[in-house]
Amino acid sequence: MPDVSLSWYLALSAVLFTIGVAGVIIKRNAISMFMCIELMLNAVNLTFVAFSSYFRDVSGQLFVFIVMTVAAAEAAVGLGIILAVFRNRESLDVDDSSVLKN
Amino acid sequence: MTTFLFVLLAGLAIGSAIAMVVQRNPLYSAISLIGVFIALAGLYLTLAAPFLAAIQIIVYAGAIMVLVVFVIMLLNVEEEEHKPLRMGYLTVIAILLAAILFGEAGFILYFMGNSPLEPLNPNAVGNASNVGLTASIGTGLFTTYLLPFEITSVLLLMAIVGAMTLARRVGLLRPTDLVVPGSQVLTRQTLDPKAIGDATEVESSTTAEAARVLGLEGVPHRREE
Repeated sequence: MPDVSLSWYLALSAVLFTIGVAGVIIKRNAISMFMCIELMLNAVNLTFVAFSSYFRDVSGQLFVFIVMTVAAAEAAVGLGIILAVFRNRESLDVDDSSVLKN
Repeated sequence: MTTFLFVLLAGLAIGSAIAMVVQRNPLYSAISLIGVFIALAGLYLTLAAPFLAAIQIIVYAGAIMVLVVFVIMLLNVEEEEHKPLRMGYLTVIAILLAAILFGEAGFILYFMGNSPLEPLNPNAVGNASNVGLTASIGTGLFTTYLLPFEITSVLLLMAIVGAMTLARRVGLLRPTDLVVPGSQVLTRQTLDPKAIGDATEVESSTTAEAARVLGLEGVPHRREE
C-alpha cells in the first residue's frame, strides 16, 4: 500500500470544498446554505493543517484556530440574520428574499 | 495502518458531505455535517494535530452545530419541496465543466505526487516534532500572532453585539416603561403619541382597557415598530 502523501489530503480538501460550493448553489434553504459554507471553511482548514504538518510549521494550525473563531462569529451573526429574515417573511427560502426592500 | 485510517476517514467525510447536500430535511443535513466534522477531527489526529482535533469536536460539532440545530428546531423548518431547476438548460455545460475541473485536478495531483518534496512522514526529520501540541500553539498564539489573537477577541465582541441587535424583538414597551409582574402595565406615552415623556402608569389587562381608563379612546394607536 502506498504511503499517505500530502496530495491525498489536498485532493480530499478539494473534493469537500467542491461539494460545499455545489451545495451553496443547489440549496434554496438559507440554513442549508449556511451549513455548506461551514463545510467549505472546514475543507480549507484541512489544507492548512496538512501543510502545517508537512512543513513542520505551527503557523498553519494558528490560522485554523482563527478561522474557527471567525466561523463561530459567523454562525452567531448569520443565524441572527436568518432569524430576522424568517420573522419578516415566514420563509427560509432564499428565492423569497431576492430583494432587500421590505 | 495510516493509509487505512486515511481511506476510512476520507470516505466518511466525503460520504457525509454528499449526504448533507442531497438531504432535503435540514435536520438530517446538520447531522451529516457533524459526521464530516468528526471525520475531519480524526484526520487532524493522523496529521499530528491533537489540539485542533479536540477544538474541532468542541467548537464545531459542539457549539456551532448545537446553535444550528437549535435554530432549525426553533423555526420548525419544513422539508424543501421539489421545484423545477431554475436553469435546467445549463446541465450539459455544467457536466462538461465539471469534467474539465476533475481532469485538471487529477493532472495537478498526479504531478504533485511525483514532486521531489519530502514525503509526509512524521519520522522523516528525525527529531521529535512538537508542532500541533497545545504548548507550541499557545506559544505561537501569544508571541508571533498576538495581534491577530487580540483582533479575534474584538471580532467576537462585534459578533455578540451584532447577534443581539439582530435577534432582539422590538416590542411595545420601552426602557422607561414600568412593568409589574402578573399584570399589564402601560404608560400614557405608550398609548398616546402626543404624551411623550409622560410615564404615568395604567394597570389593565388589555391595551384597549388602558386607553379607556385614560380617556384616550379614539386616539390612534402608535404603530408597533
